[in-house]
Amino acid sequence: MKLIIGGYCSGKRRFVGQLYPNARWISAYSGDGLADWPPESSTPSPMVIEGWERWIEADLIGAYDVKQLRAKYANLLDTYLAHEQISKQPVCLIMLEIGRGIVPIEAKQRALRDLNGWLSQDAAERCNEVFYAWNGLVRPIKTMIEP
Amino acid sequence: MMTFISGGVRSGKSRFAEQLAEQDAQARGGPLFYLATAATPQEPEMQARIRWHQQDRGTAWITLEEPVALNAILPRLQPNSTLLLDCLTLWSSQVMFASDLSLEEAIKQLSAFIQALADQHIHLIVVSNDINECLPPTECKLLNYVNFLQSLHQCLTAQADQAIQMLSGCAYYWKGG
Repeated sequence: MKLIIGGYCSGKRRFVGQLYPNARWISAYSGDGLADWPPESSTPSPMVIEGWERWIEADLIGAYDVKQLRAKYANLLDTYLAHEQISKQPVCLIMLEIGRGIVPIEAKQRALRDLNGWLSQDAAERCNEVFYAWNGLVRPIKTMIEP
Repeated sequence: MMTFISGGVRSGKSRFAEQLAEQDAQARGGPLFYLATAATPQEPEMQARIRWHQQDRGTAWITLEEPVALNAILPRLQPNSTLLLDCLTLWSSQVMFASDLSLEEAIKQLSAFIQALADQHIHLIVVSNDINECLPPTECKLLNYVNFLQSLHQCLTAQADQAIQMLSGCAYYWKGG
């Protein structure tokens, strides 16, 4: 599993599009939900999943427990990892770096930043390759270790 | 030659860029220009701040001021010189919020400026700010501004001979290290 992380408009999608031109995308920005997983497809293809901060934000409506939510997303990551091993098709996660600004005044915005940061840590731990995008350039920050 | 330097607030961008420009000018034996993109401020505190920066830079520098129309400074430059533009963030905000230029026109103007400098063998060093690694702004105008600045950054890193990210005073070379 691969993770591409970077700030807003930093070139993440273009990089992934070049990496996997024939991938299926599950994108919160296109209105897809996490319930759209697993994809119903007869032809196996690489999967790209993006828009995590939107899904997290939707989970923060009403009462929430950040620890439970972190566990929920970590379980999802395990599901993707298992899917990748069974289907032999790569799964690629795109995540937005949002942790470098001022601490927000509103509690839900703080929870969003916390959960997004934990999610990217949990994802990076599970991925064998992690890339960081900066102003249209991309570099590996964790590389594959052959067993 | 073109060098792009960016990073967070107080990450050491300007200091590093000034040192790089001074070394470059010394090595090439050419003049050293500083393009200040701040519009003349009304506040005494900001005026004083600009004076401090000028004093800090010393007498080796020739300071030019232009908030929007970059091409206007071209006649004042000399071939084989070094030009430090500090900073792109201010220029882009003035283009977006205080000029009649469309964003497309601004990108064209910047590209033409870069080309004109390359034709005269002027080393352009551009300093900017990374403001896209926090929660994206919810206000449309601000979001458009971040989009615009990021388009400029991507345009510059694609053309740059050197692309440098500053983190806590340390320079990471994405290109040309």
